[in-house]
Amino acid sequence: MITIDRVSKTKSGTRILHDVTFEARPGRVTGFLGPNGAGKTSTLRILLGLDRPQGGTALICGRPYRTLDRPLTTVGALLDGSGAHRARTARAHLRWVAASNGLPDSRADEVLETVGLTGDARKRAGRFSLGMSRRLGLATALLGDPEVLVLDEPVNGLDPAGIRWMRGFLRDSAVQGRTVLLSSHLMGELAETVDDVVVIDKGRVVTHGRLADITGGHRTLEDAFFALTATEAGGPW
Amino acid sequence: MVNLVRAELRKLLGLPTAWVGLVLGTLVAPVVVLLNAPYTRRAIAAGTLTDTSDLGLRDLGIGLIGPMVLGVIVVSSEYTSTGRDAPGARQLTATLAAVPHRLRLLAAKTIALVLVVAAQAAVTTAATLTLTQALHGEHVPVPAPARVAAAILYWTLTALLAYAITLITRNGIVPLTLLIINSSVVSVSYLLTKVTDLASYLPDIVGAQMFIRESDFPVEVPPVTAGLVMTAWIAALLAVGAVLFQRRDA
Repeated sequence: MITIDRVSKTKSGTRILHDVTFEARPGRVTGFLGPNGAGKTSTLRILLGLDRPQGGTALICGRPYRTLDRPLTTVGALLDGSGAHRARTARAHLRWVAASNGLPDSRADEVLETVGLTGDARKRAGRFSLGMSRRLGLATALLGDPEVLVLDEPVNGLDPAGIRWMRGFLRDSAVQGRTVLLSSHLMGELAETVDDVVVIDKGRVVTHGRLADITGGHRTLEDAFFALTATEAGGPW
Repeated sequence: MVNLVRAELRKLLGLPTAWVGLVLGTLVAPVVVLLNAPYTRRAIAAGTLTDTSDLGLRDLGIGLIGPMVLGVIVVSSEYTSTGRDAPGARQLTATLAAVPHRLRLLAAKTIALVLVVAAQAAVTTAATLTLTQALHGEHVPVPAPARVAAAILYWTLTALLAYAITLITRNGIVPLTLLIINSSVVSVSYLLTKVTDLASYLPDIVGAQMFIRESDFPVEVPPVTAGLVMTAWIAALLAVGAVLFQRRDA
């Protein structure tokens, strides 16, 4: 369960988040949708305790991320990049992360297999393609077999087979009862994967609810999105 | 905490740059003693080198590049961009996702660094002093255990100094360049002692007086006081670094 309550944030004198409020529930995939620069990553970084909000609370299973003990066993997070130092092999990266949360070394090879990187375990992260980096990032998120997944633009950089795989993975995770929150600016991808939708634009949540309710009178989620954010289709982003 | 220290040791020792610092820092002082041996022998024979009590210990200074590299990269590796695809992405994100309690993370990093550098210092000090004894034994007194321990402490504190500065700058290039230039090419700290006596209390200058006897510094500080002054410097810089690390957005 993820609870974001009236979170606001100011960066370099500009208010980038205004009272952002929504929930992501267990057993469901929640899509956090908005154009680039709308505040998706900023919200997720606050949720993960990386950045501090000026106001409001962001809780995971009722607790702020910073107070979680061995957090990887509760939350798996994927942000920009793989998080692995360029000079480290995929396996070495996963092993130090595992050690920090008291997880056995064997978990490294298990998650590499889950994301299809077993053959690249000894390769340095700096030589990974964008798609492989995303997979390594996801492998890191899965180390502690967490009940909550927070994924920032998870399909970014994946090839069509990778996107298909990710979709199946996210659906399976929700079926197993996990809470899945993922951000995206790709409406087409989201419509086929998510149960609930939160739409953010210019730092404000403009709507949230079940996918069917949001799409409502519109032909597709994409149409609904443009109607809600009043962004011109074919605009600069 | 044991898990965190284990993870930080793995992180540090998994970096190729750390091994450059480890190997270079461990070998360079003994090698210099070896290379200087003919000149040192001649100087002793000619009577130009009369006080030999600092021999060996003084040669350790050149190896300080090792702890400096290690102290800097423990922090700077967290802030290096992880790749061209995501220029803003850094290892720090993975680190804080795994260990969100920042002061505990810093404590684990500090312990890991101290363990590695103290071990390195012990090895290189033993090697340098043994070599000095083997080469010039009859002319050089065996240094007191306290002086040897002080040399190891000086190395460890130097690594912590580099670490604390990098924690404040969040970038390894500036502190590493300044520290290495200051310790090898032009010692700005030493030049400052010519301007004001206060410069004798700068961490690198005062710290050396923990184990070097013969000094041409304007103010002579007793070894224990020297150790306390250097430790105070490190503690203050570490406190500033920790407060900033705790408050800043990652």
